[in-house]
Amino acid sequence: MTDMAIETSALAKTYGSKQALEALSLEVPRGEIFGLLGHNGAGKTTTVNILTTLLPASSGTARIAGHDVTTGADRVRRSIGYLPENVHFYDNLTLTENLTFFARLSGVPDPAARIAAALEAVDFTGHGQEKMSSFSKGMRQRAGIAQAILHEPAVLFLDEPTSGLDPQGVAKLREIIISLNQSLGMTVFMNTHLLAEVTKTCTSIGILSSGRLIYQNSVAATLGAFPDQASLEDIYLHIEAGTPS
Amino acid sequence: MTSLITLCGKELRDLSRNRSVRLLILFLAVVVVLSVLVAAADFRTKTADYTSYLAALKASGGAVNAPPPDLFPLQMLRAGMEYLEIVGSLFAVILGYGLIAKEKNNGTLELLFTRPLARHSFAAGKILAALIIWTAVTAALFAVITAALLIAGNAPLTGTDFIRLIIAAGHTIIYLTLWSLAALALAALTRAPATGLVLALVLWLVVVLVIPQIGDTMDPDNQIPGGLFASLQIDKAHEHAVMANFTGYETSRDLIEQASLTKQYERPLFAWLGIKDQYNQQSPAFVWAGTFNHTLWLLAGFAAAAAAALLAGTRDKLLRKA
Repeated sequence: MTDMAIETSALAKTYGSKQALEALSLEVPRGEIFGLLGHNGAGKTTTVNILTTLLPASSGTARIAGHDVTTGADRVRRSIGYLPENVHFYDNLTLTENLTFFARLSGVPDPAARIAAALEAVDFTGHGQEKMSSFSKGMRQRAGIAQAILHEPAVLFLDEPTSGLDPQGVAKLREIIISLNQSLGMTVFMNTHLLAEVTKTCTSIGILSSGRLIYQNSVAATLGAFPDQASLEDIYLHIEAGTPS
Repeated sequence: MTSLITLCGKELRDLSRNRSVRLLILFLAVVVVLSVLVAAADFRTKTADYTSYLAALKASGGAVNAPPPDLFPLQMLRAGMEYLEIVGSLFAVILGYGLIAKEKNNGTLELLFTRPLARHSFAAGKILAALIIWTAVTAALFAVITAALLIAGNAPLTGTDFIRLIIAAGHTIIYLTLWSLAALALAALTRAPATGLVLALVLWLVVVLVIPQIGDTMDPDNQIPGGLFASLQIDKAHEHAVMANFTGYETSRDLIEQASLTKQYERPLFAWLGIKDQYNQQSPAFVWAGTFNHTLWLLAGFAAAAAAALLAGTRDKLLRKA
């Protein structure tokens, strides 16, 4: 078994004449919390959509937990959990009914036990019988992470997980992500442009600019490599500024 | 198979709690049952009039044997069946559209399609749910209208009548599900589900209203209120003799009507219920022989709609952005 949770080689995606992703070669070892950074339209969501099998790549290859996203899509789907930027559920159903539905689709053998464990992991017990229509954005995000980890995936994909959350919600979500990574050993791949959060949450980062990966390193090494920059935000802007568009 | 049942079960639970769906089905049930109750009350009055007329005749010592009026209980269902044909199919379109639109508009497709689902299980789950919903609604409606015939109409239903009602219900299930599946397929095929709804409504308009209306307008007997032949006091035998001179015209009119799946539903339905005069009081074998081709066309339409829904409801087609 490979030590890489995520491997891409020359991955590209074009929409008509627009190159959304260009020759992306990336390696994320198991057990990392990887943050993919980039401005709006840099190709972050396209990358996540390809890696989660929601979108076919135009060329190149990608493997998740050793499975190819094209030829082994179903095995990839069994290996991943996914939280979209705006997570939605079936509002007429309760949280437990929604989670039971997704657990069964994932082939979880004992849905009730796994739902209890997932809700415990995201510190969200006691809301199981509530209808989703009554949930706030922060509650939906936690419910969304619970659905993503029901089948104990090897890799968790989070698309802008803190988008639209209040500071308490952001802090809680950070705590959950770190806990999932440390206690369950899940590799986490998150898209974000909140750089302060990246410093506190991620172990390594990559920077996408106009569909190209222009930087990849651990957070600690990155902070050490740019001693004249005050924060990761400054480093990001410095790296971005040095890249011809 | 497990994911199909899971998807279908979720759909049924979701639909059963959807207020709009409940309201539409309740409205349909009220108009259908109300129309049958009105017809049943009229039937009951006519039966009572005949009974009291006979009693009065007997009391006056009259020796004339008054023939009973032509009262056929299943004919009371005509208006109710027309509501199912037009309003029911419209609601079926809305329901079918909703099955896809809610997933596309809410963004739940992304959560679904990052699960290991078989290629067609998403659409198959929706198709099965639509079939179950319309089977349940139709079965409940036919049970209520049968009770209305028996209780409100005091109608003497025979065993054959019950079989005719079951066959009519079967045709109705196929017809209504067909419309839901056609709308589902169009909502899945178009990038924006609202575009699919507009296309489905145009299709509904053409098939349910426009084509049958053209056929009705071309019918010589419909040129005068009350019927051309009746107003000229021409009996059936002579009417057929007259029409024998217009076979080409009648064939064209028939073909136009048959282009509408609504007519393929209505013809066997009205035949089995005895609403169409030529099939009234005829044996089931006679009705089947005269209408099985329409039933087969209806089934073919259902199969086509199901195939379209199955092919349109795949991951790659549904995940295209609006």
